[in-house]
Parts: sequence; structure tokens; C-alpha cells
Amino acid sequence: MFDRRLIHNFDWILLGLLILIGFMSVFNLYSAAHSIRSMGGSQIYVKQICWYAIGFLILFLMTTFDYHILERFAYPLFFISLIFLVVVLKIGKVTHGSQRWLSFGYFYVQPSEIVKISLVIVLAKYFSEAEKMGDYRLRELLRPFILIAIPFMLIVYEPDLGTALILLIVSFSIIIFVNVNWKSILIFLSTAVLAAPLFWITLQEYQKKRIITFLSPDLDPLGAAYHVTQSKIAIGSGLFRGKGFLKGTQTRLHFLPEQHTDFSFSVLAEEWGFAGSAILLFLYLFLILWCLNIAKNSKDKFGTLIVVGIVASIFWHLTINVSMVTGLLPVVGIPLVLFSYGGSSVISTMAAMGLIMNVSMRRFIFQK
Amino acid sequence: MRIKDKRWIRIRIYVTGICFLLVLGVIFLRAYQLQIVEGSKLSSLAKEGYTGRVIFTTQRGSIFDRNGKELAVSIEVGSVYSYPKMVRDKTRTAALIASALDIDKGDILKKLQSSRSFVWIKRKVTPDEIKRVRELNLTGIELTKESRRYYPSMETGAHVIGFASQDNKGIEGIELHHNWYLEGQEIRLNRIHDALGRSLIFDGPKTENHDPYDLILTLDKDISYKAQRALRKAVQRSGAGSGVCIVMRPRTGEILAMAVVPEFNPNIFWRFRPYEWRNRAVTDCFEPGSTLKAFLLAAALEDGVITPETVLNCERGEYAIGDYVIHDRRPFGMLPVKEIIRFSSNIGAIKIGQRLGAKRFHYYLQRFGFGERTGIDFPGERKGTLKSIKNTSLLGQNTLYFGQGMSASLIQLAMAFGAIANGGHLMRPYLVKSIVDQRGEVIREFYPSVRRDIIKPETAKEVRRILEGVVRKGGTAPKAAIKGYPVAGKTGTAQKVDPIKKTYSNKDFVAFFGGFAPSDSPAIVILVALDKPQGKPYGGIVAAPVFSDVGGWTLNHLNVTPAFPPATARHERAGQRNFSYPAEKDKAMVVLHPDLPGTIPDVKGLAVREVLRKAKRLGLKVIVKGSGLAVEQSPAPGTRLRKHRLLTVTFRPPC
Repeated sequence: MFDRRLIHNFDWILLGLLILIGFMSVFNLYSAAHSIRSMGGSQIYVKQICWYAIGFLILFLMTTFDYHILERFAYPLFFISLIFLVVVLKIGKVTHGSQRWLSFGYFYVQPSEIVKISLVIVLAKYFSEAEKMGDYRLRELLRPFILIAIPFMLIVYEPDLGTALILLIVSFSIIIFVNVNWKSILIFLSTAVLAAPLFWITLQEYQKKRIITFLSPDLDPLGAAYHVTQSKIAIGSGLFRGKGFLKGTQTRLHFLPEQHTDFSFSVLAEEWGFAGSAILLFLYLFLILWCLNIAKNSKDKFGTLIVVGIVASIFWHLTINVSMVTGLLPVVGIPLVLFSYGGSSVISTMAAMGLIMNVSMRRFIFQK
Repeated sequence: MRIKDKRWIRIRIYVTGICFLLVLGVIFLRAYQLQIVEGSKLSSLAKEGYTGRVIFTTQRGSIFDRNGKELAVSIEVGSVYSYPKMVRDKTRTAALIASALDIDKGDILKKLQSSRSFVWIKRKVTPDEIKRVRELNLTGIELTKESRRYYPSMETGAHVIGFASQDNKGIEGIELHHNWYLEGQEIRLNRIHDALGRSLIFDGPKTENHDPYDLILTLDKDISYKAQRALRKAVQRSGAGSGVCIVMRPRTGEILAMAVVPEFNPNIFWRFRPYEWRNRAVTDCFEPGSTLKAFLLAAALEDGVITPETVLNCERGEYAIGDYVIHDRRPFGMLPVKEIIRFSSNIGAIKIGQRLGAKRFHYYLQRFGFGERTGIDFPGERKGTLKSIKNTSLLGQNTLYFGQGMSASLIQLAMAFGAIANGGHLMRPYLVKSIVDQRGEVIREFYPSVRRDIIKPETAKEVRRILEGVVRKGGTAPKAAIKGYPVAGKTGTAQKVDPIKKTYSNKDFVAFFGGFAPSDSPAIVILVALDKPQGKPYGGIVAAPVFSDVGGWTLNHLNVTPAFPPATARHERAGQRNFSYPAEKDKAMVVLHPDLPGTIPDVKGLAVREVLRKAKRLGLKVIVKGSGLAVEQSPAPGTRLRKHRLLTVTFRPPC
């Protein structure tokens, strides 16, 4: 049952990259949490270690089965994750004015994280089943569009626009990857724009307000704009070599907001300087290119598409988060995957990386 | 998968990889831009964000007069401030504070709603208000102790002392000039605060750390008060726009009083206009008018071109220079020099000047310090104008003899009079005697300094004798006389230049009187100037009485012995008491203790400083015992110098 070739083909480099990023994350969170220790935030880095431990466990679990099984269970899995999304809207825990967490007693789960993976699987399945390569017509894209639209709208309702945005971008990355007709995409986009007002009407008043604030941060000058300014100052004042571990003034003195989540990159940049941020960026770059290589070497289209979808997700998280903290993009609540604090995020990302590992290990095995 | 599909996927992956690389490249460049290119700018922004100046103030140093009377002191009072971010219910807080402190609610609310991390609510509040605020016990509203500047003598000496702002910064006068000493360490304290504005670390002063120092001025509070009152009265009576009265010790250059009208009260300086704060004695320049004849006289006597008895033709009151005719107030015929000065004849002055020559006169005016700052320890001194001979017309050269065509500050004029009073030494005027720390130890001391010697002591004495005539009956200023003391001086009535017509005005004058008493050995020099007196504008009429009033009082206050017992005995005693500047002292020593060359000198009766100076010249080392004046020395005077390299001197305070 357990093929020895699997161990032979185990992707040690991918594992090594994940461990390195994990170490940097925990170290950085130790520093970020250090400054809020007085506020009871001291357990954050310990928790992150736990999340990573669970994450690696799940990563190994994800390699034990052949990923082709997922092709069969793609739709049921997707459906279950959608149910979670609906449930969270009913009984979810409200934090910071949005409902995105499901309580499981000791811990909380963010269903949108699960949906991200299941949607990639579903899309991968759909596009790999098609006979042709590229040039999809609008009619053929209808199904994927519906598959994307349902979780997207549910997440918007929470509202968690950051995640919804990522979902959309990742899905589109997959669609563009499989080369659809440009005409079809344009038609779809115009329909979406036309449908937006209709969608708007269905929203509750408080949801509308949150979305407005999100779309124009200028209305909340001491909020978002202040955060970005402080983040830029923190990053810039790190200079080349940084201020040293636990010595970041902007972090220490709470000028930097959301240090352990959205702005964790700024903490690193302040304390380790350009050298530190460059190292982290190179680690991510290496990770992304390595995974693309896995996608290239995958023995079938399903595997390729799963890996591409997951890599796209990591790539966009990284791009949007770092652009946001460096002031290139407006502030949208998107964490830096694997680096920011967050149980659901770490575990689901590790699960996704497990899938990539799975594809990597089975690139030489022919099943049928 | 088919081979074709495989290739297709490979190409797509490569394209994707390149796209990802490009985007990450942009992010990488952005990090480079922020951290390397804009790094230093953002670093300083960061620093600005978390550092601030300290708000706790140490008490500002005090200012005392020469007798230790308080001129400026700091008292501790409370101040109310707020960290707006910590205030929860801003409207309610504002309302409560407004009623407790009796200030406008809207203003407070605006402050509380500001995005700043720290705001002052009200500074320097009364103890009652402190109590009320404390009882409210509001979050985000804090109390601190601050010091408030208080000037007990109010208008007296205000223009010299100046004033300090609420932030403990000297704004005017001595408070500004010596701010560094007075304010102490407080501004050198930095604080580090967090995003909510709470202070975390106080960055202690690393350099130039010192407690605030106290200043001891040369001013005498009582004389200043007297001068201020007399001047105020004179300005009121004459209807003048402004006035200045300087009282100075000619031997040292110490300023005893510098009264200025219009006055202001530094305790509430904000209610006055800046022109009322101005110390006109230092910052304003006037044409000196006939007062300049005193220096013309001194110059001509020094050069030996005239004697007091030289008779000159005063041309019966009309004298043509080119197309221009110079007039005297009264026509005079042949007059000896001493009478020319006494009656202040302009034509006579021209005649003296012609003997001296314009070049020499210009040289002497420069020597007397005109056209050059006196170096007084006060901000904003002006140097007046003294045109070079080359740029002056023939008429200009002649009118300069009676003080037209140049300008001088009043302190310059006072110092020039001082040089005549003290035997020919131009002194640097000064206002601060010493700077002492909180334990009373002297940190810095200021000594008299001679800027230069201008005329021989005998010449000065001669000038003083002639100037005595001015004050006698028949002179221009009999009103300057002081009962019991011989007095000398010179009047001046200068026409002001009309700023619009650029010609001399017929109704705007400046009236001067500069003089000294006792005239045989002057203890004080007083210069009085009144700007734009109405009615009779003559210096002898409006300014001279101030001199007499202030002078008489001051001489009495300083215990200067009146004209009896005989002048010679008094001279010696007065001379000894005021023995201050080295030039004259050395000369006196030579007479008293003739030192034989190559022997140990007699140092008895000398101060430590003098003994050291003398010993240094002879290459002797001195062991100083005690303090005061030298009473004993070993080896004895007259001993061969070669054998000894060491001189032990015992000092004792004079009784």
C-alpha cells in the first residue's frame, strides 16, 4: 500500500522552506507579542508554534493519500465548505464587526480558509476534465463562474472583503492560466459590474457601511491611513541592517498597528532591516518558483492546476499584504500567509502545501 | 497526458513564473525604496513620532540686583494638561473642566478632539483651581507643577531684565541674553512616548547638564527705582514721547540703572506693545547734538591745539560755511574755550574743530567708541553711524563739531562720558556681575574691562573742570547742580531729522544731559535723554533736573562723601574705595611702593589678583594664605630677587 518510492520522492526542499518560514514567523511573533505582553498577548508565539505543529501534522496527513481521490470528492468537499460558510453567517462569532469565525469550543475556525482550498480543487477538477486546452467559451465558463460566485457572495456577507478578494483573484488566476477566451472574460466582468447594484440592495445597512469604509479608507483618516503611514515609517526606519531583535521602536511603542497579523512584515522589516525583508521575500520567491516547478513536473493536468491555484493564492497573499504595508495598495485585511499569526490561516495553508507535496511525491507514479 | 499538452503546460508555467517574478521584483524594489532610499527620512519621522520635549520644568534661575535683592524669581504653580486619546467622554470632560477652570468649553473640546497626543488645557492655574480639577478625577486629564515667572520690582529695571515666556524661554533683555544659564537643563530632557502619548523613558541630559543658574546684575534696584520715577516724572512734565536715564559707574562700566519710558510691567508683558518692551538705551540711536562738544573739547585739549583759555572768535552768532550760515542761539563775540563749552556755542565749536581738523576729530570720535558697539551684555545693541571723512561734505564736517550728521546709542554716549569721568579709559559697559549656581558658588564672574585709553588723565581732568562751568550759574544747565557735590556735564538739544522731509525738524528735538559727580573724582555718570519733549526742548531745562534728582539721591545712597571735608582727603579715600581698574591702580602702586629693580616688591595692601599679576611678571611663584588684601609677605620687600623663587603672602579681609 505504502509505496517506498514515495519516501524516495519526498520533497525535502519544500519542507525545508516551510520550516524556515515557520521559524522566522515564530521569532517575529515573539517580538511582536513582546510589546503587547502587558496586554495579555504573550501567548501568541507559543500558539503559533502549536499551529505550525498541527500544520505540519496535517501536511503529512495530506501526503498519505493519492491526490486523485480528491478528483472524486471535489464537489462534496466544496459543498461541505459552503455549508460551513452559511453556518458561520448564522452562528459565527462577531469580531471587529464581522462574522467570520466558527467556534469549536477551544478554538475558532475560519470557514473561508477551507473554501479557498476546496474551490481550487473544484476548479482544477473542472478544467482538467475538459478535453481541450484553452479557448473556453462563455458557455463553458458558466459553471466555474457560479462555483466562484457562491462562496464569494457568502464571504462578502460576513463581511470579509479581503478574503473574498483573494478568492476572486486566485480563481481568476486559474482561469487565465487555462487560457480562456479574452472575450468571455470581458463579458463576464461586465455582467458582474451590472449585477453589483442588485447585490448591493440585498446587503444589510451595517454591511454596506463596512464595505464603504473598506473601499475608501480616507473616510477614516485616523484608521487606515494612519496605519499605513506608521507601517511605512516602521519599515523605512529599519534601514539596511534593522534595529535589532526586540529593539524596534515603532513596534515596541505601539505605533505599528496589528503587529502580529496584517502588519507582521513591518515588524520584521523594522527589526531586521532591508536584509531581513529581502531574506523573507527570497524565501517566498523560492517557495513559489519551487512549487511552480512541481506544477510543471506534475504528471497530469489536475495536479498542475491544484498546485497552480495554491501557488497563486500564496503569491497573491504575499503581494497584496506586502504592497499594503508598504503603502502600494490600500489597506485590505489580508495577512501574510505562513508569516502572520493565525491558526486557521497557518493550518489551511499547511494543508494546501501538503497537497502540493502530495503532487510532488507522485509525479512519477502512473495510476491508470 | 499527451506530449502536446505537456509542452503547453510547461509554457504556461514559465509565463506564470515570469509574471510572478516581475511582481515580486516590484515589491522588492519598494522595500529597497523605503528602507534604503527613504530610510533616513523615515527614520527621523520615526524619531519625531516617539520623542518629545519634556514638559516638566525645573525652576528657572533667579535674577538679583547687586545687593542681592530679587528682580526676577520663579514660583511653582500648577498646570493642567491632557492626553486626548485617553479621554473617553470628551464633551462631558470638556464641560466639567470648563466650569472648574473658568474657561471656554468650546476651546477645551477642540483641544480634546485634536489628534495630538498631548495638549495643555490651562497653564499656571491657581491653587483653588488645582483642587477643583483634582476632585473631578477625570481620566486623561493630568496636573503638573510648573514654574511661573514673577518680577517683584515690576516696571523698575524691566527693560534690562526683560521677561521669559510661559515655556521658560527668555524672550527679551537679560532673560533672553543669558537664557542658557537661567533655564538650566530642562529643554535638554527628551522623552520617549508610545502611540498613546504616555511617557515611557526620559532621556536624561547627556551634554551640558547643569542646574539653572542665578544671575547677579550690576543694577541697583533702589537706584533703578529712583531713576525710573524721576524719568517718568520728567517725561510726563515735558510731554516727551520717550526717555532714558542711565546711571553708570565710570571706573568699572557697571550699569547701576537703566530706566526707560515708556514702561511696561513684565508680569503682564503681553498687555503691552513690543515698542514698550524695547530697551531704548541700547537699541535706539540719536544725533548726540551739543553733548558731542565735550568730546571735541577733550580731543582738542589732548592734541594741544587749544588751552582752556584760548580765545576764539564766535562771529557774533553768524558764521558762513560755503552757502550755509551757522547760527548760535545767542550771539557771542570773542570767547575763551571754557566759555564756548559753557554756553555751548556752535560757532565756537566749529572754531575749536577747525584747529583740531576734521580728520583728527573723526579719529577721536572713533576712539570714544562712536560707530562701534560697546559690547554690552544685552541683545540688540545698535552701533549708530559715523560717516567717514571722505564721504562728508565741508558743511557736514563742520556741523559734526556740534553733533549733527552722526548718530549714537545712549549707552555709547554714556560710556564716552564715562571715559572723561574716569581719566580717559573707555570701558565696556556690563549688566551682569556674576553667575552663581544653586549653592551660591560663582560659576562665572564678569570684570571691568578697559576697551582702550583715549586721553591722558590730566586732559580728562581739565575737561571735567571746564564742564563744571556748564552747571554753574550762567551755563546751559544750572538745574543739574547737586547740593553738596561738585558736578560737571554737558547739555545737548538735537534737532530730529524729519523722516518725510529728510531735513532737520523745527519742532522735534531730543534733549540730553550727560554728566558726572563728584566732578573731581566721579563716582557716577548719568546720562538723561528725552525724546520729543513738548514746550521748551532744551537739555538744560528738561533733562538736567533728572540728573540732579537722580544724581543727588544716588550719591547719598552710595555713601559718597559730600564736598566737605577737603577735596584732597576725599579724593584719596574715594579713590581707594573704588579702586577697580588695573591701569590706574598700577600707577598708584608705583608711587606708593617704589619697587627697586631686581628685588622682591612690596605687595602689602594689594588684592590677590594684583599680587599674582605682579609675581608673574617677575617670575615668582606665590603661596596664597587667606583672602582679602595682602598684610604680610615673605621674603620681605627689597630682598634680592635672584635667591628666591617663592613668595608667601598672607591676606586678610579689609576691615
